Amino acid sequence: MNKKEGLKLDASLVWKVFGIAFFVYLFFGFMLLPCLNTLTSIFTVKDPTTGAADPLAVIRFFFAGNMPKFVLNSLKLAVCLVITVNIVGISIVLLTEYFDIRGAKILRLGYMTTLIYSGVALVTGYLFLYDSDGILTSWLAGIFPGMNKNWFSGFNAVLFTMTFACTSNHALFFRNALRAIDYNTVEAARNMGAKPFKVLLKVVFPTLIPTLFSLTVMTFITGLCAMSAPTLLGYDSINPEIVRLAGSSIADESFPQARAALLSIILAMFTIVLLTVLSAYERKGHYLSVSKTKAKLVKQKIANPVANVFAHIYAYVLFIIYMTPVVMIVLFAFQNYPSLRSKTLGMDQWTLINFFGAKDFEFMTNRGKYRTRTGAISGLFANADTVGGIRLSFVLSALAAALACVIVVVAVNYIFKNKGKKRGIALEYSLLFPWLLPTILICYSYRTYFNSTDVWYVFGQNLYMRENVRFLIVMAYTVVKLPFALRMVKAAFYAIDEELEDAARNLGASPLVTFLRVKLPIVLPSVLAVFALNFNALFTEYDMSATFQSSYGKSYAMVIQNMCHDEGRDGYNVNASGRRCASTVFIMLVSGLILYLVYGVGARDLGERLERRAKRRKRWQKLMQKLHISSGKEAAA
Amino acid sequence: MADQLQSMIDLKNIIVKFGDFEALHNINVDVKQGEFFTFLGPSGCGKTTTLRTITGFIEPVSGTVSVNGKDITHVPIEKRNIGIVFQSYALFPTMTVYDNIAFGLKIQKNKKDEIDRKVRDIARKVDLSDEQLQKAVSQLSGGQQQRVAIARALVTGPAIICMDEPLSNLDAKLRVQLRNELKKMQRDFGITTIYVTHDQEEALTLSDRIAVFNKGYIEQIGTPNEVYNHSKTEFVCNFIGDINRLEDELVTKMGLDKGQNHFMRLERIRVNREAQDGEITLPGTIESREYYGLYIKYYIRVAGQIIKVIERNDGINIYEAGEQVTVGMHPRNLMSYPKQ
Repeated sequence: MNKKEGLKLDASLVWKVFGIAFFVYLFFGFMLLPCLNTLTSIFTVKDPTTGAADPLAVIRFFFAGNMPKFVLNSLKLAVCLVITVNIVGISIVLLTEYFDIRGAKILRLGYMTTLIYSGVALVTGYLFLYDSDGILTSWLAGIFPGMNKNWFSGFNAVLFTMTFACTSNHALFFRNALRAIDYNTVEAARNMGAKPFKVLLKVVFPTLIPTLFSLTVMTFITGLCAMSAPTLLGYDSINPEIVRLAGSSIADESFPQARAALLSIILAMFTIVLLTVLSAYERKGHYLSVSKTKAKLVKQKIANPVANVFAHIYAYVLFIIYMTPVVMIVLFAFQNYPSLRSKTLGMDQWTLINFFGAKDFEFMTNRGKYRTRTGAISGLFANADTVGGIRLSFVLSALAAALACVIVVVAVNYIFKNKGKKRGIALEYSLLFPWLLPTILICYSYRTYFNSTDVWYVFGQNLYMRENVRFLIVMAYTVVKLPFALRMVKAAFYAIDEELEDAARNLGASPLVTFLRVKLPIVLPSVLAVFALNFNALFTEYDMSATFQSSYGKSYAMVIQNMCHDEGRDGYNVNASGRRCASTVFIMLVSGLILYLVYGVGARDLGERLERRAKRRKRWQKLMQKLHISSGKEAAA
Repeated sequence: MADQLQSMIDLKNIIVKFGDFEALHNINVDVKQGEFFTFLGPSGCGKTTTLRTITGFIEPVSGTVSVNGKDITHVPIEKRNIGIVFQSYALFPTMTVYDNIAFGLKIQKNKKDEIDRKVRDIARKVDLSDEQLQKAVSQLSGGQQQRVAIARALVTGPAIICMDEPLSNLDAKLRVQLRNELKKMQRDFGITTIYVTHDQEEALTLSDRIAVFNKGYIEQIGTPNEVYNHSKTEFVCNFIGDINRLEDELVTKMGLDKGQNHFMRLERIRVNREAQDGEITLPGTIESREYYGLYIKYYIRVAGQIIKVIERNDGINIYEAGEQVTVGMHPRNLMSYPKQ
């Protein structure tokens, strides 16, 4: 071995050791140990009167107190949500992709608004419409003066809101599965005498069952782990209770932290069971089309005129439900304070103040004196709180999304190089580990475990205190997004032809050059897509923000939630509702832009990009020629 | 002729194992300078494994790979100076045609103007225009992509070029067209070529010599004529081209050795012709026929078995099903192998 080879070997060894140390640190330090600490905290409770250890105190408390109510409520929500989301989700896909419904393109746009308008923004949007002084409630109260203006709260409100908020997965994955059906199978069934409904039931649906099963499990977990809707609409389910208990102290109630831990472990157990069932089902395999020449699905006309009318009415009612909050939010984002207060659109009330600039507000006090509150009416980008929330969420989300991508790309490259080997499998499972744990468990575990100066491997720093909480949020964001990033990036790596790596090596490229110049450019669109989608989700993320909420970690979602507190009181915060609408519009624009960049621009391959560039160049040349000709003519004249 | 040429690649006693499975058993091949040498065989016979052993992607458990007398068995892939055209072409999808061809030169740290000159030079030779050089590989047709793959493999000036089923992704018509171009290019460049295919027609038309693989062994190495007309083993004679296996009744009627299996090519059997010296003629009945235009394939029942025969289509002597004919077979055209 010569000196150069020796050096090379040492460098690769250093990288390997560094890599292993990093992943071990990440897995044990930020996944396993905090969660184990949560688990053990359930059994290390002390009797408050005697001070003696009482490992089963929380379990006894669980069965004696009202804790099962939260679990049962969450289960009730999850079960009902599975039914309603599947009904609405399947409906919107069939109505836009399978049946021939007029205006399907417009309907699809409406149904897909949840892709850019979700989470806390969506819930506040619904509240804007339906809460006690919401537009619809005010309108209904005008017609029925005796009605309960607080009708939009509790279980029904949560179920309604989440039903329409959780169909995004159906709109993406169920739609893709339906579009992948070989139309020849439909034609074959029709040819053999099957009626359209029978074809749908016996030929189309069976091939979609695997997708539906996955969607059902994911919906169930979403219902079980619901956070923003129950919190904002008032429903006693597990997650809001965990956050409440996490912020409570032993002086107020019996061992709140241990109870929160127990609830999060219960949630984790449900999630683990469901995901195990899902993976076992997925392992059985899917229905694969054996067709070599797949025919594109042709939309089916509904022959029965009554059914056809009913289907159209149903489609447009759903469209109205999806679109009304979005339209209202957009319109009211450009209305000034009085119209927002009265929830009536004024044609002379258009303004941009909810977005930009600030104005003073003059009001009369109880004593009948006029006072002016400087800058009480402020736009989204002029309000210190809101801008602070946007800035913090932007930075933390971007950091976490980037970190998750870097970790996963390096890991997946290693996993593919060590296919079938124990070390590759171990790394993959360690990165998938957070998938088994509900987000709330991870966040709660971080909050309690790192809220101390005893954790040696973070150099004894209390990560929940002051600015440190931002690091904790980035770590939580990153860890929570690792499984999704891993699945997506792994799928992208599968698309790399193994011969490309062989070709690069044959042409003399080292493994690092092969990775950087051949493999990475191929997976880059997918990696950027993962980055963008993770950023999108984290930018308005609510669950984790609520758990980590502090003055140093007030994210955009929390700002939106708090925006209307004390609205207008004593002349403060006058146009908070308008700013909230503007925030939602801003989120929709950011999400829309990201989705466009990911699926529009990012999905183009080099050929398409070069073609577009050539077209642009031609257009430019034509334009220049025209200008040249016209200037020549002018000169001649 | 091959014997007179200087030896270029020499595989000696190569054994390759994947776990407990022995993929190559004692492979010995000697490829001459400038030769078009084909590894032919069915899927899983070891031809690609042998190719990957030469290129360095697989290291044998024993045996040596030598190029120009130099042992390269343990030389890293990138230092072997062997160009490869992959089955999928393995063109880098995120690079233009130009960048694909220039990749190896850039890795070798050639100067920019030298890279440009070499890329344009090789592109001209493989018939790629300047405009095509600026395109993405996805914008090219299958045939053009193949040319890019060849140019990329040749631009660094390798001593040998290896092609792993480079025509298998193309449609039949283009395959025939590119086959001819490939042969012409190989002659023009004069580069030693190892070609892997399972298509016996491709092997016969392109190769100077062919190695027929079966289950990790080489059954025969020879010129196309040798492997077709003088197949050394029953496997080779069955694998190369279509053939009739004569069954016991026919063997008896022809007075052949019953201790052997006898085979006869379709085009060696004559229908309704005057018997030649030593030719055995037997009566037969046309069972069916397949019309191919240039020739007609007949299925004739002779001595209780169906014999396949190919006759040139002269437009006059065309036989109908059920017609009685005389079938002539000369024993010198038989290929016989001991029964196992």
